[in-house]
Amino acid sequence: MTAESRTLVLVDDDRDFLEMNRKLLEGRGYRVRCFTDPQEALEAIRELRPDLVVTDLMMDGLDSGFSLARSLKQDPHLGKTAVIIVTAVAGQRGFDFSPEGPEDLAAMNADAYFDKPVSPQALLAKVEELLA
Amino acid sequence: MNEEAVRLLVVDDERGIREGVRMILGAEGFDVVTAEDGQAGLEAFDSQGPFTVALIDLMMPRMPGLELLGHLHQRDPDLVVIIITAHATIDSAVEGTKRGAYSYIPKPFTPDELLLAIRNGLERRSLALEARRLRDERESRLLEVASERSKSTTILKCMTDGVLVINLEMLVVLRNDAAARIVPGLAARPVPFALSELTSGEIRESIVDVLEGGGPQILMREVSLDEHTYMVNVSPVLDSEDRISGAVAVFRDITALKALETAKSLFVSMVAHELKNPLAATEGWLNLLVSDLVKHDPQEERHMIERSLIRIKTLRTLVSELLNLTAIETGNFSLRRAPVDVARITREAVESQRERADERDIVLTLSGRGEGETGMVLADRDALQMIIANLVDNAIKYTPEQGHVSVRVEQNGMYVRVSVQDDGIGLAPEDTGKVFDEFFRVKNEQTASIPGTGLGLSLVRRITEMHEGSVCVESAPGRGSTFTISLPLS
Repeated sequence: MTAESRTLVLVDDDRDFLEMNRKLLEGRGYRVRCFTDPQEALEAIRELRPDLVVTDLMMDGLDSGFSLARSLKQDPHLGKTAVIIVTAVAGQRGFDFSPEGPEDLAAMNADAYFDKPVSPQALLAKVEELLA
Repeated sequence: MNEEAVRLLVVDDERGIREGVRMILGAEGFDVVTAEDGQAGLEAFDSQGPFTVALIDLMMPRMPGLELLGHLHQRDPDLVVIIITAHATIDSAVEGTKRGAYSYIPKPFTPDELLLAIRNGLERRSLALEARRLRDERESRLLEVASERSKSTTILKCMTDGVLVINLEMLVVLRNDAAARIVPGLAARPVPFALSELTSGEIRESIVDVLEGGGPQILMREVSLDEHTYMVNVSPVLDSEDRISGAVAVFRDITALKALETAKSLFVSMVAHELKNPLAATEGWLNLLVSDLVKHDPQEERHMIERSLIRIKTLRTLVSELLNLTAIETGNFSLRRAPVDVARITREAVESQRERADERDIVLTLSGRGEGETGMVLADRDALQMIIANLVDNAIKYTPEQGHVSVRVEQNGMYVRVSVQDDGIGLAPEDTGKVFDEFFRVKNEQTASIPGTGLGLSLVRRITEMHEGSVCVESAPGRGSTFTISLPLS
């Protein structure tokens, strides 16, 4: 399957991260849709059936990124969607979200986890790995 | 005893006796005064005293000896009174000794008998005085001890820190009122009671550790009781030979301190988060620029650099706002206040934002009172200009292109008002109360790309309040916001 046929959804309340990741991933031929609101993103995802979602944890609703990931994994139609969580909250407010192994990732309903900012090479490599 | 200092009063109606005694005792170094009857004796005592010894005859005209004895004893209970009497009045002399006379000498008497009686009297007097001095001293010391004890009791009672004293038999032998309030179940329990009856295991353990440790160590631990946090400090009570004889536990309420500590960590964590976001975004853009993963396009690259610069500027603003906020909190933000024309400051603040408004095609207007048309306000002009510029900057940021921002200066009674009105995105009712809180930022689809620190309006509020003024906001979603600063005229 070529990159062109893959759809990626990016969710982040910071426009800069959406824009830079869109440039990176579109540059590699992926179709990319961006959302700042996790609720809107979830609705669009149900329609778009993307291959992969990159979501921020978003501090507003503390677990809005987690609940988005959970909704995806629990949805029988979307359970195969790969989820990458990228966040700046690691180590903040006494929470340490950094998963240490596959069990932690599974508990987060995620396939990969990055602390912001993730290097473009690392993000791209992870996307390619998950979609391989 | 220095006999030269001893003054002696002789009261006798027989001249021979008076003169005889004066001769005998004068030769022995006594200072002798004589009187010829009871009345004269009393007058001499009053006018020529003080006397240490009185020799009194019983049978005298005007005032008998026993009556004089009564008067003299009333005046000086320590006076040594010796009755001189004839055999016929021995019974009266005995009566006199019952009433406080030291002794009696029957007439006639030899000089030696007289001197012996006087010396014995003086000796007894000095013993009595010494005994009384000792008694007084002991009593005053007892009084002192009693008052020390009542002082300590009062201090213990009034202390806000709770105090428990525990002896080696693991009995709580003292608790003050604060301890009874602080430690659950203690108020109703009379002391002494067994340490094991204390419900808090943590406190019990600390006390037992100190009692059994036997050393001079002091244990400190935080204990939570009834939604309060206490620093419990258990120290051993040592006797004069440094042996442990008990323990004292002191409870200090540190709930407010803990709340401050939590607020401080939360603040630090929020600051770190606010710093990390723009830093991460900048780093992300620069990573992408150098990565060779996007195709080379000068226009695109310029855009990435511009976005990085915007985030860096946010960072810089955040840091200077934090410094201002810290300065305010620590009292180091000193206002240099002088009479200020608010209309003029407002014009300058508006002009400083003109370029930003033009960039976004926003119509920025200034109306109302002009320069010299309002009373003066006692203010720090730089601080005032900063907060007005901040409000205008906010209005421009949260108003879509081609919108309107109008600034108006008015005088209302004893206040000058500066209002900044925009027709931008406005605030939801639940957010209007929070916009002046530190780090509060409205986050939604519309604000996602607007840079901000969440500290600007908090600074506006604090600086306005430092000028005895107030700031308020009226807003409706989609219809814009109006921020108004009111400052008292000087």
